[in-house]
Amino acid sequence: MILAMLRVMTLGLLRDRGALVLAFVLPPAIFVIFASIFSATTSDKLDLKVAVAQLSSTQASQRLEKALRQERTFEVIGPVRSNRAEVESLVKQGAADVGLVIRAEIDDTGAAPFEVLVEPSKLMAGSIVSGRVQELVARQLPDLLLSRTAITFQSVVGTFTPEQSARLAAAIEAGARVSEPPAATNAPGLVATASVGSSDSSGATVTYYAGAVAILFLLFASLQSAATLIEERNSGIIDRIAVGPGGSAVVVLGKLLFLTIQGVIQVGLIFIVAQLVYEVDVTRRLDLWLLITVAAALGASGLALAVATACTTKQQAQTVSTFVVLICSAVGGSMVPRFMMPEFLQSIGRFTPNTWAIEAYYGVFWRHETLSDVIPEIVSLVAMAVVGTASALIVSRRRLRF
Amino acid sequence: MGSPAALEVRDLSACYGNREILRRINIRIERGEIFGLFGQNGAGKTTLIRAICGRLKPRAGTIAIGGQAIRAGVSRQIGLVPQEIALYPHLTILENLQVFGRLSGLSAAATKDAIGEVIKHTALTDRLRERVEVLSGGWKRRVNIAASILHRPALLILDEPMVGVDIEARITLQNVILKLRDSGVGILLITHDLQQAETLCTQVGFLHKGVIGPQGAPRALLDLAFDGQHEIIIETQLPVSATDEAVLRGRGFSAVEGGQCWSVISNKPLHEITEHLEQSGMATKEIRFRKPGLDSLFLRLADQPGTGFEGPRP
Repeated sequence: MILAMLRVMTLGLLRDRGALVLAFVLPPAIFVIFASIFSATTSDKLDLKVAVAQLSSTQASQRLEKALRQERTFEVIGPVRSNRAEVESLVKQGAADVGLVIRAEIDDTGAAPFEVLVEPSKLMAGSIVSGRVQELVARQLPDLLLSRTAITFQSVVGTFTPEQSARLAAAIEAGARVSEPPAATNAPGLVATASVGSSDSSGATVTYYAGAVAILFLLFASLQSAATLIEERNSGIIDRIAVGPGGSAVVVLGKLLFLTIQGVIQVGLIFIVAQLVYEVDVTRRLDLWLLITVAAALGASGLALAVATACTTKQQAQTVSTFVVLICSAVGGSMVPRFMMPEFLQSIGRFTPNTWAIEAYYGVFWRHETLSDVIPEIVSLVAMAVVGTASALIVSRRRLRF
Repeated sequence: MGSPAALEVRDLSACYGNREILRRINIRIERGEIFGLFGQNGAGKTTLIRAICGRLKPRAGTIAIGGQAIRAGVSRQIGLVPQEIALYPHLTILENLQVFGRLSGLSAAATKDAIGEVIKHTALTDRLRERVEVLSGGWKRRVNIAASILHRPALLILDEPMVGVDIEARITLQNVILKLRDSGVGILLITHDLQQAETLCTQVGFLHKGVIGPQGAPRALLDLAFDGQHEIIIETQLPVSATDEAVLRGRGFSAVEGGQCWSVISNKPLHEITEHLEQSGMATKEIRFRKPGLDSLFLRLADQPGTGFEGPRP
């Protein structure tokens, strides 16, 4: 019986060119557009989560930590760690947008005292933190910066005796004459930046947007297709089916099956493009891709059916659908990465299917996470499917009474 | 002992919240019988259908279909033809029948056999491969019925099955319904077309404000209500003047349609009435004389107390 309903939906789709284009042509096209645009995105102001490690604890480094925690541009998450690996791990897992390692005393000119760890997809976040750290040191710890400058200066001119003054003048004169700066100016800068994981930033962005566009279109197509339930209710089809042995549940469950299959094909097309054009290695982790995709398609279908059964007219359903898709996509990271959003929006975004799907796809294909790492996201998507479908079953049954 | 009734409703009462919609309804429809149920909008017809289909739990009373009390699974014996065209417009007639056959619980093979039989009853053979969206209203109505009888229900509920169809299609549909009756299906026909019901129905019942009035064969009910009387209908060329209206009302006429059509049920000879009207100089367009129909009976039952719509006493 459910297969009969599946057949109805399939024939309906195949005979509606507009729906076919919407379901299978538009998603990969939009994905290519998004991927092209955001591969080279830059930004200047972010609300970032920064994990900090301090390799040696001194009075100066403690002052620095205090200053970092007072910084408003970013938030230092958790306690200050004592080793670099821990911070690197947090950045790789996505728990922190940027890692900051305080490697040495600021007056040690042998190496850059700060190291910024950043994922390739968040290079702009790394640049911003790097700039902010330099500004912070100059503004709030000028004595430390001065001592570093003095040491650098002394390494060039020695102590300030008349003889050294002459040498300083000679050095300045020599520096003006030759194109190559004095040896001492080759000392490392204040902040060094290191990439965590692969250095292919465009690959990270493409992987991110494969998931982002996939869930966006899953929601969009599911909500559109599920609205046929309202037409069936208004035309008396559900009345007719409801007197049969399957009752109205057949309609809801048949649609759930159709929408899930449609969704898996849709997402499949997006990831085929991602693999063929952008070299995202989908086939190597096909099992996890399938699991996440089925969960995401089920979740979107459940939500769509709940909306369709709750709405009384198709127009009402379209309005609600547009709202749900746009809000979830905007807040959940389908349009702009969540790390670029203010903290409160990031918190809201955690409750959207977009965030769950994006995190799961990105975790598997970029951070190379295992099944156990993405279980929370998969469970959330499946839970949404269960709640949505149960709601649709109850509401559609109740509607038959009135 | 004969086969059980297609539908037996006993002392059925139903409510929405605290509002009582149906009050102690009793209906019995035998197999091979067409029961016409009439009532104005809001009389409780839709609620009665919902209760029969098991979608609304009655407050009191019982419903049995094919001898089995309503419970999960028994609804398999019901075929419901909704007032709307409850079909998938993008599917062909054949595809619709296949889908609804499967949804009514038939196997693929049984559906195929049932379609073969049903299309003969409903004369659909010629256009099986055409999509429903391109069919005329009459054809859609036939498919609408066909989709509900694939599983050979004991009871077929037809809710306004001929709305919006032309005369030719109406005759075809009437023949389809009569064939179904002859095949042993019990039919509950809900309609506002009382003339059509008079032709088709073996039994009729009138529902008014949740109470069912007198039931019986149409002719028997009419004879009982209008023994020896006839109905005179006068159509005037223009809306009648106040003087003419006074004359008509004085002879017992009441307005039927917009002031240009008046009717009276009387046992006085026709010539007595027409002579009087001629003397008054009224410009009549047409005078019709007929035996009173179910529409006249329905109006009389609904308008006059003491005619069976009072419902059972508490």
